[in-house]
Parts: sequence; C-alpha cells; structure tokens
Amino acid sequence: MKKLIKHKKGQFVIIAMLMIAIMIISVGALMHRAVTYYKHEPWEEYLTLVGNIELNSQRLVELSLVNYTQTEENNTYILRENLQKWQKNLTRIYLGYGTSLTYELASGTNYNYSFGLARHWNKAASFSAANVNFTLDIASIGLTGYKFMATAFLNLTILNTTDNEINLTVKGEDETSITNLKEDNFQVSNLNITGVATHYDKKEVLVYTIQCNGAITEPVTVKVWDERGIQVTATGP
Amino acid sequence: MKMNKNGQMRVIETILASFIIVFALSFANILAITPTSQKYEATELEKLGYNVLHDLDEQGLLPRFVYTEEWDNIIAALRVTLPLDVYFNMTVYDLDGTNVNHKPISYGYSETFTTSKNIASITYGLVGYPIRTNSTYQAAYDPRILILQIARG
Repeated sequence: MKKLIKHKKGQFVIIAMLMIAIMIISVGALMHRAVTYYKHEPWEEYLTLVGNIELNSQRLVELSLVNYTQTEENNTYILRENLQKWQKNLTRIYLGYGTSLTYELASGTNYNYSFGLARHWNKAASFSAANVNFTLDIASIGLTGYKFMATAFLNLTILNTTDNEINLTVKGEDETSITNLKEDNFQVSNLNITGVATHYDKKEVLVYTIQCNGAITEPVTVKVWDERGIQVTATGP
Repeated sequence: MKMNKNGQMRVIETILASFIIVFALSFANILAITPTSQKYEATELEKLGYNVLHDLDEQGLLPRFVYTEEWDNIIAALRVTLPLDVYFNMTVYDLDGTNVNHKPISYGYSETFTTSKNIASITYGLVGYPIRTNSTYQAAYDPRILILQIARG
C-alpha cells in the first residue's frame, strides 16, 4: 500500500477515487433534493376534505338550532334527524373516499341538553344552545378517530329598562359579544323599535340600547336573531 | 508508450464518470415529480380548487350564492380567487342528481375542458342555508353537491 501511495500512478488512483466519491455524493444529494422538493404529499389534499366535513357539520348543527328556535314547539329531534341524514348522505357526496361520521349528542350538563339541543327562554338571561361531538374516519387515507366538536350558542340578557329604552347584551360561543346586530335583528313585544345603539361597558363589553316608540312596562319581552338565524326570547328584567 | 497508457486510462475514466452522471440524472428525473408533469399539475389544481371553495364556504359566501341562486356572484368570486390562467366549470346538483344551476357557471374556452390533459375535478358538499322571510327563518337540511372542474388555459 505504502509503495502504491508513493508511486506516481498510485497518487493518481487515489485522486481519481476521491473525485469519483465526491461526484457520487454530490449526485446523491442532488437526487435527494430533486425527489423531496416536489414530493407528493397526499395529506394536503385531504386536509380540505376534512375541513369541509368539519365546517359543514358545524353548519348543520347551527341550521338545526335555527330550526329548533323558530317555533315555540319543542322539536328536540330535529338535530338527530338532520345528523342521521348527513351521516348517510356524506358517503354519497364523497364517493370513494370511505368517509364515516359518527356523532354523540350532548345530554344534560349545566345547559340541560336534550338530544344535543337546549333552550332556556323567557327569563332575563335566556339562551339557545346546541352541542355535538363528532368522530370522523376516512378509509382512503387511513384516517381513523378524528374527533371534533360542533357547538352553537346564543345568549340574550336584559340588563335594565328606562322609559322607552332597553339595555341588553347578546353573546355567542365563549361569551363573546355579538357586534353586528341591527334593528331588524330585534323584536320587542307590543312595541315598535325606532333605533338600536351600542356602547362599551366595562363589565359586559358591548351593550345594545333598543329605543322603542312607546313607554316600556316591565317585564318586557325581547326576541333576537343573530346572523345565523338562531333565535332567543328573553323576558325581564 | 508510458504516457500513452496514462492517457488511455484517463479517457476510460472520463467515459465511466460520464456514465455515472448520466445514470444518476436520469434516475433522479424518473423519481422527481416536476411542475410540468401531469401528476403534479392535477394535484396542484385539485388543491387549488378545494382551497378556493373552502375559503368561500368559511366566509359564508358559497352557501349564500348557491341557495339564493346567485350564479353570477359565484362566477365573479371564483374569477377573483382563482389565477387568471385557470379556467373553471361548475355544476350544482341536489341529492337526486338533478342539475340545480340553470345558468352555466363557467369561465374560459369550453374546448379547454375537452382538449386539456390536466383537468382537476373537485367534489364539495353543502348542507343548507337559513333563508329569512319576514321575522322567521327557513332552515331546512337540503344538501347540494358542487362539482368544480378546473384546467389551465
């Protein structure tokens, strides 16, 4: 070996070997970069599919709550019926994906849910609520047990009244104030609304002041619909 | 004579090295999914279509346009959100498979969808939309299936 290294031909062989080694490593790195840079990521394609199912499941829960709160009748089965249809139709809409959606309707808790729906009306602090836990499987990508929750909530609290004004708060999920309500989102029993104003309150964050065309007699009944169409009726204070 | 032997060896080495480079590059080319390859393009268009529909749905525009039959607004929204060179053709069906949109929702040359090699087809579902009439809302479960075909013009 020593003789080979000392020999001029040996030096050439070593240099040639080194160069070939560098070349192979460089080509290997280039290959790796070329392959991974444009690597096909199937998960990305399905993210929006999962997002779509999640979003429309949420929409269905809201839609069912809208339906449930439109009448005084207590049709608590509407959410379950809609979910059963959605579960069945989902496999038809996304044919070949192997989608399977299971759900668990909220029951009891502090909102007193019945088949995932609850309403506590005609009090100074009233609310409408819906709550469902979903589990999604998509066989084509090996996704199993993807859990998500869909909730819808609207709270109306009558704070106080003056001669012709009612101060109230409207809150959604996580107690966040609903900010985009206008005159046609409210209804006061036996009175016409002449204007709706808002002001900031340290405790309640956003307070709506509803001006009416006549004197208010307590207790007053107020109805509110948010932009999704969910209704709450409160009577107070 | 000695010099000649060294020269021949170098020529052989050069040829061998060239073979290695050519082999490696062609191997990399087979594995790589480049932007010009059909597989990459169709996947990209599919992702693009899904994202556009999902964004419009999240903003609440897509259900409103579909259920209140604002077909011109769908065309405008898709034209604004998709790149200029992407042509589209959308069909809205109900659960029975009946075509709901009586007006075509499309942009671009119709022959693109018959001649183009790279066409992505996206299926998107909607559950319903509450429609207000006076002081009540009609909020029925009434699914719509949206089929969006997109191709690069």
